Amino acid sequence: MERLNELTIAEARAKLDANEISSVDLTQACLDEVRSLNGSLNAVLETFEEDALAAAKQSDARRGIDGTRNGVLDGIPVVVKDNILVQGKHSSAGSKILSTHIAASDATVTRKLKEQGAVILGRANMDEFAMGSSTERSAYGPTKHPRDVERVPGGSSGGSAVSVAANFCVAALGSDTGGSIRQPASFCGIVGLKPTYGRVSRSGLMAMASSFDQIGPMTKTVEDAALLLSAIQGQDTLDQTTSDHVAFKADWREKLGGLRVGLPRQAWGEGMSEGVRSSVLAAVEQLKSLGAEIVEVDLPYVDEALAVYYLLMPCEVSANLARFDGMRFGVRKENLPLFETYAQSRAEGLGPEVRRRILLGTFALSRGYYDAYYVKAKKVQTLIRRAYDAAFREVDVLLTPTAPTTAWKIGEKIADPLAMYLEDIFTVGVNVAGLPAVSVPCGTSEGLPVGMHLTGKAFDEATLLAVARAYEASAK
Amino acid sequence: MSLSREDILKLADLARLELSEDELVAAEREVGAVLGYVERLKDVDTDGVEPMTMPAKAEGWRVDEAFPCDDATRELILSNFPARKDDLLKTPAVFTAPKK
Repeated sequence: MERLNELTIAEARAKLDANEISSVDLTQACLDEVRSLNGSLNAVLETFEEDALAAAKQSDARRGIDGTRNGVLDGIPVVVKDNILVQGKHSSAGSKILSTHIAASDATVTRKLKEQGAVILGRANMDEFAMGSSTERSAYGPTKHPRDVERVPGGSSGGSAVSVAANFCVAALGSDTGGSIRQPASFCGIVGLKPTYGRVSRSGLMAMASSFDQIGPMTKTVEDAALLLSAIQGQDTLDQTTSDHVAFKADWREKLGGLRVGLPRQAWGEGMSEGVRSSVLAAVEQLKSLGAEIVEVDLPYVDEALAVYYLLMPCEVSANLARFDGMRFGVRKENLPLFETYAQSRAEGLGPEVRRRILLGTFALSRGYYDAYYVKAKKVQTLIRRAYDAAFREVDVLLTPTAPTTAWKIGEKIADPLAMYLEDIFTVGVNVAGLPAVSVPCGTSEGLPVGMHLTGKAFDEATLLAVARAYEASAK
Repeated sequence: MSLSREDILKLADLARLELSEDELVAAEREVGAVLGYVERLKDVDTDGVEPMTMPAKAEGWRVDEAFPCDDATRELILSNFPARKDDLLKTPAVFTAPKK
C-alpha cells in the first residue's frame, strides 16, 4: 500500500473526501517521516507537531460532521520556507541574527492556508535570507540532497524542495527571487512554480529583493502546483504590488496542437552539461509529439540579465536588510555604543554571503556610482522585458533547462561566489522581467534529476501549467 | 573595476558592518569579481531607454488607519525586543560621540 505521506494534494483530497483516510493519519505519517529522515537531510528546522495534529483533528471533525471542507487544502500537511511568517512560531530566514525571532503575525499566504484548513506542518531550511543556490548558506547547517547526501539540493528553497521530494509533507511553499523555487525543484526532481510578479502577496515574506521576490508552490505534480497557487493567489491590501488581474484558473489540455514553444537561441549555446542538454531535448521531442510547434526564437541579453540581477538584487538587499540591526528584534550585542551595537550585531548575526551582497548593493547605490550602476541596470531591465515581449509575440511559452547542471557536491562552489551566481543563468531573466515560470522534472542524468524550465506570458500561468502537465502526463 | 581597501572600509561603515581583516581581504576580491561581471552592462546601448520602475505598478493602496492589536499579538511584538523595560524598547544612547 502506498504510504500516506507519499500522496499528492489531489490524491489526498480524494481519499479524505471519500473518508478512506483521516487528516490526523496523514499528518502523523508526514511527522514520522520527518523524524526518521530529517536527521540526515536537515530539510526541516522545526515541526509544529502539536498545532499540526490539532489542525488535522479539526479538519477531520469538520468533514465528519457534515462533510464540509474549508478549501481544497483542508487537512493537507504543508511545509513553509523559514522566511514565511507563521504567527507565534520561530521564523529565522536561516539567519543567526533572527535565531530568537518569533513571528508576531501570519503572512498573507499563511493566513490563506489556515483559512482553507491546511495543516502547517513546519518550517523549512533555506540559504540565509534566501541568498544562495545550494542551501549551504543556512546558519543552521546545510540541507542535503535526498538521493545523495553528499550533494546539495539546490537553493535557496532547498529545505522546501527536499521536504516534498522526501515526502516529509504533501506540498510546500518556497520563495523565488532569482530561481530559488525552480532550481531546487529541478535538482530534487519535483515541480516548482514561480508565479507572475504580483500574483501572490508578499506580505509576511521576509523581503530580500522586493521587486523580484515571489512566493510559489513546490509540489509533486503540476496539478498540485495549480491547486496550491489557486489557494494562495490574489490581490492583498497588505501588498500594494499584488495585481487585480483576473485570477488564475487551471485550463488543462491533453494535446498541444496550435501551441508554439520557443527555444531561445542564446540560451542553448555552451555552458550546459551534456546530460542536461540531452534530457531537455528529449522533453522537447515529447512536446512535439503532443502537437506543439517548436520554433527557435531570439532572446537577447541572457548574460546581461544575470548581470542586471546581480546588480539590482544587492541594491534592494542592502536597503531591506538595514532593518536587521539588533534594535527591535533579533540578536543584539549589548553594552556597546550605538554605532558599534549596529556594526557588531550585524557582523555577528549575518553570514558571509549576506554581508557580501550588502556591501555590493551599498556600493552600487553610493554617491558617484548610482547612475553608472543602478540606473544603467534599470535601463537594461527595460530592454530585457521588451525582449521577452517580442519573443512572446511569436510563441506561447519559452523552454530551456532550469539549471546548466544537476546537483553538485557540497562545498564544490562555495568558495567562488561568481561560479555560484552563474548557475542562475536560466532562471533570473524571469524575475528581472516579472514573468511566471515552472520547473518540471524531465528525466535524470547519472541518477540525478534534470528540470525543464518553461516561461510564460505575464499572468498566463494557465497556458504555462497546461504545457507542463501535458508533458508530465506523457512522460509517465 | 576593483575596490581598494579604503573603498571597502567606507562601504562597511555606510552599511554598519564590522569586518575582520580576513573578511576585508575576501571582500576586496569577491566584490571586485562580481563588479567585473556586471561591467558588461556598460556595453549595452541604452540611449533613450527609460529605467524600469517595478514589474507591476503599485495598486491596492491600503487606507492608513489605526486598528486595534490584540494582547497576544502585542506581547509577541514586545517579546521580540532584544532589551526591554516594561513595554518600552531599550536601546543604547543615541546621542554619543560619533565614531568619526
